[in-house]
Amino acid sequence: MSLASNIARSLYEDLRHAALTPYRGAKEVRYTIKGLQEGTIPPKNVAWTIVSTGAALLVTALLMFPIYWITTIALNPSGGVYTTSGVRLIPETVSFQEFAWVIGPITTPKAISIGLPFIGDLVSIPVPEVIANKYIFNPTAYGVENTFTAGQLISYGRNSAYIAFFTVVIGMPVILSGAYGMSRRDFLGRKRLLYIYVLLTQVAGSLGVALLIALYALFNLLGWMDPGANTRFWLAVYYAGGAVPFNTWLLKTYMDGIPISYEEAAIVDGASSLRVVYEIIIPLAKAGLATVFVFVFLAGWTEYIVAQNILSSGQYTLPVGVYALSPASSGFQVAWSKFAAFSLTFAMPLMLVYFFMQRYIQQGLSFGGMEG
Amino acid sequence: MSTSNVVQKYKEVGIRSIVEDNLAALLVLPGFLLWALFMVVPMFYLIALSLTNATQSGANSLYNGDGTLLGILPIGNAEFVGLQNYMELLFTDSALEQGVINAFMSDPISIFEFAFWNSMLVTWLFVAVSVLGKVILGVGLSMILTGNRVRGKRFFRGILIMPMGIPVIFSIVVWRSVFSSADFGLLNNLLLRAGLISESIGWLQERWLAFGAYVVTEMWLAYPFMMLITVSALQNVNGELLDAAKVDGAGWFARFWHVVLPSIKRPVLFGTILTSAASFQQFLVPWIFNQGGPGTDPGKNALILVYAYREALVSPSDYALGGAISIVMLVFLGGFMYVAVKRGNLADEAGET
Repeated sequence: MSLASNIARSLYEDLRHAALTPYRGAKEVRYTIKGLQEGTIPPKNVAWTIVSTGAALLVTALLMFPIYWITTIALNPSGGVYTTSGVRLIPETVSFQEFAWVIGPITTPKAISIGLPFIGDLVSIPVPEVIANKYIFNPTAYGVENTFTAGQLISYGRNSAYIAFFTVVIGMPVILSGAYGMSRRDFLGRKRLLYIYVLLTQVAGSLGVALLIALYALFNLLGWMDPGANTRFWLAVYYAGGAVPFNTWLLKTYMDGIPISYEEAAIVDGASSLRVVYEIIIPLAKAGLATVFVFVFLAGWTEYIVAQNILSSGQYTLPVGVYALSPASSGFQVAWSKFAAFSLTFAMPLMLVYFFMQRYIQQGLSFGGMEG
Repeated sequence: MSTSNVVQKYKEVGIRSIVEDNLAALLVLPGFLLWALFMVVPMFYLIALSLTNATQSGANSLYNGDGTLLGILPIGNAEFVGLQNYMELLFTDSALEQGVINAFMSDPISIFEFAFWNSMLVTWLFVAVSVLGKVILGVGLSMILTGNRVRGKRFFRGILIMPMGIPVIFSIVVWRSVFSSADFGLLNNLLLRAGLISESIGWLQERWLAFGAYVVTEMWLAYPFMMLITVSALQNVNGELLDAAKVDGAGWFARFWHVVLPSIKRPVLFGTILTSAASFQQFLVPWIFNQGGPGTDPGKNALILVYAYREALVSPSDYALGGAISIVMLVFLGGFMYVAVKRGNLADEAGET
């Protein structure tokens, strides 16, 4: 709980800080003008502030321009790039119609069922007739004409969520126990294994491409790609395996920072090893666990190349869906504005997470021992 | 006394005590095995495939028949051909006919198979240029964004790191349309309206323009990572040293060269090595942009993984040759990482010495 409230508190402070920016800015400007008049602040300093802030603004605008451009396209359903006369700095029309298309029609379900891979539905509760199959969200109300293609975000998102869920469920336990073993115990070949894990941190993610041929052949030979086979589940197992080296190393370096005396005290008091992990390591490593959780989740949520080659069309995840809708793919094509709206809806939550968590991600990378 | 100690030692060393001492390995094994199942097993399988003549369909199909290699690795109807794939990959047919050594003696250049070596050299060039670009962009951005007199540093940094959250495939498709050859491509459009060019440029149709487009995109994809590492390194630069240098009369450049650079060198080097390994394996940018083109079979700018992918899963569906290309690439990458880690003392960086 303390982690969540910490994050909430720092978010609140950030927002307050942002909201008060105009006030502080005005105060600083007034102070500077007064200082300039009285001659206590050298004009050179003021000029330097303006120049360096201007430079920062300029490079930021330059680097972010493609993102801004695609956003203006998403907000302009009539045109897209193919028909408008050119790039406009400020869009002529702003409409959220394409985002309504992205969400698509949402109706209440006929039955709620819970299932597991290989076992099938465990329970299925029918929903009362009166509220079943009614529109919660109807895109035609927002001017979407063709609802047949709409709403793919949800079907792709469901596949992505399924894969990301099992990636986390399979990956987290092995990463936690591995990191604990690396941090607190000694065994033959420990340093060597750690060394391998460190080497693989950056390489492992894209090693999938180099091994793609063998993976594709193996998935085929093992029957994991047959119609009816649980391809999505095996893909999740693969992602979990690929996430092991980097995240184990990250969590291990975090655990190294927890004083060992807490555990010694618990052992003296007669706690079993399992209890030490459960009551001391997990609560103290919460921040590290949260970071690792995000990375493992994202491993399954955003991977594209292997998913594109392994999954068949009904099982597409969000990144594969982005490509399928994009003008770059040869198959199914939709207007640019629809593609832009779809991709931005997928990307926006992650972009916001990175925006607000910038400080913590920077710390996260440095607790991973990147600092010299 | 000493004799009994030796006896004690002798009794203790046995299989059982070794197992008992290393019981903790059981904590690490599940994760390691899971990783090995999906990374090490495919790697060995890839090596095995590259020593056969396996294809997707046809007479040597991997999926028909139940032949095996070494009794366990399924290779279907394919046959073991030894190093033939590697020879065909590295050397031209005429050189193989008259013997590689003989051909090398008469005409050293002619023995190298163009498709592969072109791909290899383009890949190294791509790594060199894009990594240099990434480091300059990352360090430059960080210097601007940690300047004393910049207002709203955290806001700018927050904005600039956002590309990390954008799914790579989306960024690449957007950049592809930036470099689109049509009038409405972003770059063409801006240049046309600025009056710098009179008609649209086919950015992805000309070899070195397309290469430049890859590099720009790769730099854009990777700068947030470099920036994060450099900013946190810059924040750890000793302020007292900077002040002392200032008092001693060192100018901006002298301070940067003698104080800042030595203290950010190691983290930036670490980031550089990691990011060059990523550049080496760049696949999506060339593939989505123009399939490693211009041209096909395998394309003038086909980076090594594009070449392997094309051979194995696109046009001839030649698993064996594609596997051989991947293995050669992994050998080069492994060698690069080994040298980088040895020379850069990266083991210290990992927190273990």
